[in-house]
Amino acid sequence: MSLVSVLSRLTLQSSGVASRFLHTTPVLCAEPLKKKKKLDPQIIKQREDRKKKKIEKQIRRLEKNARQLKPVEELEVPLELIDNKAQRERKLTPLGAAQLEQRALLKKQWAHYKHEEKVADFQIIDRLVQSQNKALEELRLESEELYQAAIQVDLKLLPVYVKGPVATPPIKDYVSPDGDYIHQAMKWE
Amino acid sequence: MLRRLTQISSKQLTRAQSTSTHAAKDKWDLYAGILVERLPVISKTLNPLERQFQDLLSQVEYENSLKSDFELKHERDLVQKELIKQGKVQVDLDDSVTKQTAQDLKDAYKEELKKFQVASRTTPDDDAKKLTSTNRCLEDTLYLVIKQKLGEREHFVLPQGLRKDGESMRQTAERVLSERCGKDLQVLFYGNAPVGFHKYKYPSKQRLESVGAKIFFYRASLRAGNVNVEQQTIPYEWLPKETLNKKLNNAYAESIKKFLI
Repeated sequence: MSLVSVLSRLTLQSSGVASRFLHTTPVLCAEPLKKKKKLDPQIIKQREDRKKKKIEKQIRRLEKNARQLKPVEELEVPLELIDNKAQRERKLTPLGAAQLEQRALLKKQWAHYKHEEKVADFQIIDRLVQSQNKALEELRLESEELYQAAIQVDLKLLPVYVKGPVATPPIKDYVSPDGDYIHQAMKWE
Repeated sequence: MLRRLTQISSKQLTRAQSTSTHAAKDKWDLYAGILVERLPVISKTLNPLERQFQDLLSQVEYENSLKSDFELKHERDLVQKELIKQGKVQVDLDDSVTKQTAQDLKDAYKEELKKFQVASRTTPDDDAKKLTSTNRCLEDTLYLVIKQKLGEREHFVLPQGLRKDGESMRQTAERVLSERCGKDLQVLFYGNAPVGFHKYKYPSKQRLESVGAKIFFYRASLRAGNVNVEQQTIPYEWLPKETLNKKLNNAYAESIKKFLI
């Protein structure tokens, strides 16, 4: 009955000025708080102890394994290979003096060839730098502003992706056959 | 930041233009030229010395190596075969049918490899001498030249064009390239600085406003596409270094040669 009277009063008010004073609040939708359970202090202490022990155990385990390094499998020679190494050695006839001489000669020739190639490369670099400097100087003579714009770092250039050159040109629309995927990663504690 | 830089520079540029015209004795036209290069797709063919040395290296590699599992298996197979021939070992018929020898495997691998065709190092465009194609002379760097009207006559030159007020030389180069060669041509410019320079004077009749042209070259490498301009077709060619020099005017070729690799 009282609710009805309140509502009727509300409608009376809302017909007037007070309509904007009516708000619904989230509190209306809430339920009363649960009564807090009181725990036995001894149980609380027990729980804390258990937690502490667990952490201590973890720390002990970590300390024990601290010296032990994770093995890098690729760097370890399989025992099987070490065992039958003698079996795997090639029995080749030793090289003759003439052959050794020829090889030494070829190596010398190669060193000479590579040296000349390197010198030529340096000359090309010098030439390119010289050409660029000349261009910049000429640009500066024309206009200082253009020169300043030209010596700015090009931030868009990096990162730059370059591919090739390769031994044979790529085949157009080639679909590479799928291989097998074997997951072999070991877990190390 | 870049945008701000270009704004500043463009503001300064317009100022510079007014001061330079007022103080100029000889006014030069500023051009941007673009050296577009198609980088090599495949590695160079080895010369005799390189080939010889590579053979030596692989020989040394073989001598220093140990036998592989496959080689050991092959040896065991040979021994087994010998024993069977001498009759010392009984042949188990069921076993011999299923057992594959190393030699069999090797033959199978070879057969499989034969089925795979690698692409040829020369292309149809090489044979047809199609100079407008970028899919030729895969071993060499190719450079783009186009026919442009300079003065009264047309010449083969690197794409070039006049600078507009307010542009930096790099911006000019980018604009000129897309105007001359179309949007289809995708290139990567190497930096803001020009790599080369060339200047020439106009014939004396044409020296009305300016004495001649100063060309600043920018280097760019081809990423994709080819020259493609709608409406008009311009003659263009992709040339390796050797034939490039023959195609160009002598003095021009001298200047270009300084920054070719």
